[in-house]
Amino acid sequence: MNSIYTITDNIITSLGFTTEANFNTLKEGSSGIAQTFDPKITTVPMYTSLIDSEMLKNEFTQYGDGFDYTRLEQMMILSISKALKQTDIDTKSHDTIFLISTTKGNIDLLENRRQNFNHERVYLWSLANEVSKFFKTPNKPIIISNACISGVSAIITAAHLLQTGKYKNAIVCGGDIISEFTPSGFQSFKAISANPCKPFDVSRDGITLGEGVGTLILSTDSNLVNDKNPVIFRGGANSNDANHISGPSRTGDGLYFAIRNALAEAEKTNKNIDYISAHGTATQYNDEMEAKAIALAGLENVPVNSLKGYWGHTLGAAGIIECIAGVHSIKENCLIKSLGFSELGVTVPIKIVDNFYQGEIRNFIKTASGFGGCNAAVYFSELNAD
Amino acid sequence: MENYITKYCIINPTEVIVDGKIEFNNSANEPFNEFMKSIYKQYDIKYPKYFKMDNLCKIAFIASEIILKDNEQIKTVDPNRVGVILQNSHSTIDTDTNYVDTIKDKSNYFPSPAIFVYTLPNVMIGEICIRNKFQGENTCFITKEFDPDFISEHVNNLLNSEKIDVCLAGWADYVDNKYSAILFLVEKIKENQKDNISFKPENITKIIK
Repeated sequence: MNSIYTITDNIITSLGFTTEANFNTLKEGSSGIAQTFDPKITTVPMYTSLIDSEMLKNEFTQYGDGFDYTRLEQMMILSISKALKQTDIDTKSHDTIFLISTTKGNIDLLENRRQNFNHERVYLWSLANEVSKFFKTPNKPIIISNACISGVSAIITAAHLLQTGKYKNAIVCGGDIISEFTPSGFQSFKAISANPCKPFDVSRDGITLGEGVGTLILSTDSNLVNDKNPVIFRGGANSNDANHISGPSRTGDGLYFAIRNALAEAEKTNKNIDYISAHGTATQYNDEMEAKAIALAGLENVPVNSLKGYWGHTLGAAGIIECIAGVHSIKENCLIKSLGFSELGVTVPIKIVDNFYQGEIRNFIKTASGFGGCNAAVYFSELNAD
Repeated sequence: MENYITKYCIINPTEVIVDGKIEFNNSANEPFNEFMKSIYKQYDIKYPKYFKMDNLCKIAFIASEIILKDNEQIKTVDPNRVGVILQNSHSTIDTDTNYVDTIKDKSNYFPSPAIFVYTLPNVMIGEICIRNKFQGENTCFITKEFDPDFISEHVNNLLNSEKIDVCLAGWADYVDNKYSAILFLVEKIKENQKDNISFKPENITKIIK
């Protein structure tokens, strides 16, 4: 079977508009989370991580008229454009497929309809059409809306499509904006943290939402690979808890199935995993469930972090930008400190990365879980890791 | 490798079709909720949680109940080997609109977790998984219209690469009192294969005509 190479990527969050700017900030251990009083987002002061609107406007002008595209479309077009600058992939080729992951798409149009957008624009296929039309792609984009695992699901779908040989290149882009819709919903669940979120910590009290977009380009074409030892997709799987639509499983069995199946596809046992990039939303139940799933998979001695303390929970972007960060942890041989963590607050002893670590990292597992009881796991490693 | 449609169900505002036969008519021209309730009674469904669901979940759930009715065999399959793959066009626009109504007016602000939880389209898959204890591959794809090419390709890949043994696959959509569900039970092995149709785009297209 053809190897599925990670070719290039881009991350746009409160931490910056390039993967480099984002990853350097993660290495420094600084957060982009700040308090917002914006009445378009929240009725009470709330911690969140937002993309700088002025910077988005300025950066987007090189690519198009901001009046023609919604905020999320601008974010996605910008992110994909920046990723494409670093490779020769032809988006007009039938060999290239676009995958878009988002939970709520252009939901701001429903809250406050702007005159210049057609009513259809709130539908996710309309958003995806605008983005793919910008890049003149001949193939119909694939859209995935799988709650908080959307990004990881999109990467898995992309990789499995590439394995069939139908396409050579997959441009996987995921994102979500922060408008009033999602914060008010999580507030109604009393799931928003009073302070920047603290994944896996004993004093954690909920999530911090974040705005973000990420683009990961995968390809089976080895000619596009610049790296001597590229990072490749090895395996991935989705699963369901079949337990509750808004609460995670109490046993972690669903997420464990996803991890087990992802590793089975990679033909790896759990003996040589260097790092787990957890979902780590910092709700009581999610982090507890994840710790149990990690233990069920026999991975309790593997270093674990959550990146939510840096850019919050970025919903449709989360799985993609956190996989990109994992790829760069391999490339730069380092582990990012799990920000917000000081004392273990889950009942299963797992190893949280409590300080920046420099040392050989050859592979990682990325996990995600979401509403609807869904879970996903992917496994990436260096080509010459074995 | 071929996989087979062992049962299918189509629900639209006028009728319920199961394996090509019209099993139930909306002769009284009932609106969505009443029609669904009539189907619920007709098929003797007993699941109180149904009444908490939003409209999208209701139609997807009812179609799954009709397909899985009296299917004892599926209960013997490893839960982790049963997949649910659905497509949808308008995501949860119906519930999104209802939810936005609860936050629009700051003097009458009452966002509800019971509504908010149904603002994600994959929750309909979660409801079907909870009811039947299915724990395998599950993904919600958004397409403007039902896409037999993509869904058959994706589901056949999952079955042929041994990731699952059985899949509930299809489509459910609800917007402005316009609704439809097209659901297939797709399996690898079948004792009496001559009666079954392979899960191919041309066969799917013929069925939904």
